Amino acid sequence: MKKRRLKIFAASAILLTSFVVLVLSMTKKESMPELTPSQLITNADTLNNQNVQLVGAISEGSSAWDAAKFELTFAVRELEGSEKVNVVYNRLKPDNFTDGGNVFVEGIYDAEKNLIVATDLQTKCASKYEEAESSEPASSSL
Amino acid sequence: MLIEVLVERIQGVAAELGQAAIWVSLFSTIWAIAALGIGLQLKKIGLLKSGRNAVIATFALISLATAVLIFSFVTDDFSMRYVVEVSSAAQPLLYKITALWGGMSGSLLFWLWLITVGSVLVVWQNRKANDTLSDYALIAVTIVQLFFILVVTGAVHGVYSPFERYANGMVMSDGKGLNPLLQTPSMAFHPPTLYIGWISLTVPFAFAMGALFSGRIASDWTLRSRRWMLFSWIVLTVGITLGGHWAYQELGWGGYWAWDPVENASFMPWLLGTAYLHSVMIQEKRNMLKLWNILLITLAFQFTLLGTFITRSGVISSVHSFAQSDIGWYFLGFILTSTAGIIGLIVYRWQRLKSANRLESLLSRESAFVLNNWLLVGLTLIILWGTLWPIISEAISGEKATVPEAFFNKVVIIPGLLLLFLTGAGPIISWKKITFNNFRRMFILPIIYGLVAAGVTWFFLAYRTYTINVAAEKDMATAVSDVTTPNIFVQVWESLIFKDHPIPIYSMLCVFASVFVVVAIFNEFYRGAKLRGKRQQTSLFSGLLQLIQRNKRRYGGYIIHIGIVIVYIGIMGSKGYFLLESKSLQLGDSMEVGAYQFTVEDTFQEQGENYNQAGIIVDVEKDGKHVKKMKPARNYYFKAGQGDQDTIESAIHGIGMNDVYIAIGDLPQDLRNGGLVNVQIYHNPLIKVVWIGVFVMVLGGLVAISQKHVHKSQEAMA
Repeated sequence: MKKRRLKIFAASAILLTSFVVLVLSMTKKESMPELTPSQLITNADTLNNQNVQLVGAISEGSSAWDAAKFELTFAVRELEGSEKVNVVYNRLKPDNFTDGGNVFVEGIYDAEKNLIVATDLQTKCASKYEEAESSEPASSSL
Repeated sequence: MLIEVLVERIQGVAAELGQAAIWVSLFSTIWAIAALGIGLQLKKIGLLKSGRNAVIATFALISLATAVLIFSFVTDDFSMRYVVEVSSAAQPLLYKITALWGGMSGSLLFWLWLITVGSVLVVWQNRKANDTLSDYALIAVTIVQLFFILVVTGAVHGVYSPFERYANGMVMSDGKGLNPLLQTPSMAFHPPTLYIGWISLTVPFAFAMGALFSGRIASDWTLRSRRWMLFSWIVLTVGITLGGHWAYQELGWGGYWAWDPVENASFMPWLLGTAYLHSVMIQEKRNMLKLWNILLITLAFQFTLLGTFITRSGVISSVHSFAQSDIGWYFLGFILTSTAGIIGLIVYRWQRLKSANRLESLLSRESAFVLNNWLLVGLTLIILWGTLWPIISEAISGEKATVPEAFFNKVVIIPGLLLLFLTGAGPIISWKKITFNNFRRMFILPIIYGLVAAGVTWFFLAYRTYTINVAAEKDMATAVSDVTTPNIFVQVWESLIFKDHPIPIYSMLCVFASVFVVVAIFNEFYRGAKLRGKRQQTSLFSGLLQLIQRNKRRYGGYIIHIGIVIVYIGIMGSKGYFLLESKSLQLGDSMEVGAYQFTVEDTFQEQGENYNQAGIIVDVEKDGKHVKKMKPARNYYFKAGQGDQDTIESAIHGIGMNDVYIAIGDLPQDLRNGGLVNVQIYHNPLIKVVWIGVFVMVLGGLVAISQKHVHKSQEAMA
C-alpha cells in the first residue's frame, strides 16, 4: 500500500516539476518588456536590438504607406505625452488603424534610429466605440 | 401614423419601465433568497413555493427589461445613451438587435437575463420532484443573479445603466453605430453563444453549492447537473469556434487563434469544464474525487467571471480588451468573496468530501482520468500564467513584461499531445489495473497503426522538404552558374534527415497519437457492435446503432474524441504548414503561392446597406487551369462616426480541405493607371478540418446529452 502511494506521489511530483520547469524556461525565453514610448527611449541603450512590445497611440499625421515597398511607416506616441518611436511594418495595415488609435507593436528596437522593425502590429479593436464606462452618468432614469 | 404615435408614446416611458423592472427584480431576488433559505431551514413548503415564484417573477421582470431595450434599439431611441453608443439608424435590423450585447451595459443585462432563464429552468425541472437539493441550488443561482442585478442597476460607480437617458431630455440625431467589425453573422452569434455557455455552467456550480449547503455530497448533484454541464460544454465549444471563425474571416491576418487574453478567457472555463466532465465519471463509478469535482466546477464557474475581470479591469493590455471600467474590480470582489464562502463550506463539509476509494495503480483507467485532469488543469494554469504575466512580472521585478503568441504555442504542445494520446488510451485501459492481456488486446494494434502513420508522415514531409530544397538549389544554380545540382541520392538523403530544416517531430507525434486514438476508438465501436449484432442476431450496422442507443453518454463521448483528433490534425496543418506571400501588384500582374498562380484582373465596386465596397478581381490558376475568380475587398463605412472606418473583407476559397485566402490593402486612386495594390495571400492547409472536427465534437456532445438518465449501475462512460 505504501509503495503504491509512493509511486503515485513520485509520478505526480515528476509531472508537476516538468510542468513548472517547462513554463518557467519558456517564460524566461519568450518574455519581452511591455513599454510606452517614453520608457523605451529612456532605456534605449539597454533595449537596443531587443524584442520589445510597444504600447501607445498612432501619432497624428505620421503614417505613410509605400505601396511599392509594401511598407507602412508611422510613429507611436505616448498616450499622454509627446515622446515618439518610429515603426516600420511590412504587412497589410490592420483594421481600425487610424490617427490617435491605440496600437500594440512587437518587434526589434534599433536605438540609434529610434525605430522598431515590427513583426506584429495590432490595433485596439471591437469595442472602439464604447466610451470609457467610468465617466459619470449624464442623467439618471429613476 | 397610428403606429408612429404608439412607438413615440412607448419610447417616452420605455427607459423608465426597463429601469423600474430592474429595481423591482432586485427585491424579488432578495425575497427569493430569503424565502428559500428560511423555508429550507424551517422546512416550510409554503415559503419554498414563494421563493420559487419569486425566481419566476425575477425572470419575467428581466425579460421585460430586455424586451424594452431591444424595442429601443429597433425604434432608434437616441435619447438613451447605450442605444447611441452601439447602434445607428442605418444599421441593419439584425445588428440593431445584436447591439444588445454590443457594449458593456447591454451585455450585462443579457447575461443577467440568461441567468434568470437558467434559474427558471431549475424551478421547472423540480416542479414534480420537489427536491430540496434544487432549492439549495436555486439559492446559489439567485446569489449570482443578485450580483448582476446590482451592477445592471447603474447604481454602482463606474457602470451606467442600459436605460440611462441623456440629461435635460436631450436626443441625439443618430447613434455612433456598432463597430463595423462586429457587423458580421459570426460576431452576431459568437457573444451570445459564449454567454449561454457560461451561464449554463452556473447551474452545475449551483448544484455543487447546493450539495455543500445541504450536505448531500454523494453523486446525485452530479447526476442532476450532468446535462447542464454537457449543454454548457457544447455551447462553449460552438461559441469559441465562432469567435475563431470570425477572426479568420474578418481580421485579414489569415489565422483563427492568437492566444489573446479575451480568447484565453473563453478557453480556460472550457478546459476546466472538460476536466470536470471526465472526473465526475470517476465520482459516479468509484465514489472518488468528490472534493476535486466540487473544486473543478467552482473553478470553471469562477473563471467565467475572471474573464470579465481580465478584459474589463484594464490590468491587462490587449487589443481585444474592452472599454475599461470599475466593473472588472466588482467581478474580482465577487470572485474573492464567493471563494471565501466556498472554502468555508468545504471546511464545514470536510468529512463528507473524503473519497471512499483510492487509486490502485498508476496504469489504470482511473489514473488515466486523473492524468487527463492534471493536464487540463495544468494547461489552464499555464494559459492563466501567460495571460497574467504582465501583472506577475511587474509584481516580481517592477517592470511590465508580456509573452507573445509563440510562448503559448510552445508551452501547450507537449501537454496537448499527451492529452491527445489519452483520448485513445483512456477508453481502452482497464479499470483498477492494466493487465498484460488488456495491453495485448487493446493497445498493440493502435500502436502499430500509429507508428506506420508516423512513418508515412516522415516520408511525406521529407518529400516536401526535397521539393523545397530542389527548388532552392535550382534557383541558386540559375543565379550562380558554377553551382551544380547535387546527386539525387544525396538530395533524397538530406531530405530524409531534414537537413537545413527542423525535424517535424511534433507533427509525427501528432499523427502517431491521432491514428492511435482513431484505431483504438473504432476498435471499441467495432467490438461492441459485433458483440451486440451477434447477441441480437442482427447486422453489424444495426448492432452499432443499438450500441450507441444503449449508452449514448459513453459512445457520444467517443465521437467527441474522434472530433478532437480531427481538430488536432487541422491545427497541425493550418498552424504548422501555412504559406504566406505579400506583394504589390498592378492590374494584370501575377504572383505565385504554393502551386497556385494569382493574377489581378480587374477592380469592382459594390454598395452595402451602410458601407461602400471596393476591391479587385483575382483569377486563380493551377498548372495553367482556371480554378476560381476571387474578390478580396475593403468596406468603407459611411454612417455617423464611421466615416473614416474601413475594414478588410478577405476572399476565401476552399480547395479540398485547404483554403486560399486573399486580403488587400487600400485601393489606390490610380490603380487603372499603373498604381499598386498590396496583396497578401495565404495558403492554409487542412483548415477546413478544424471546422469539421468541431462539428463532429458537437455531434458527439449531442449524442451524449440525449441520454436522459444515468444509473450508477450503468458503466459511467469510457
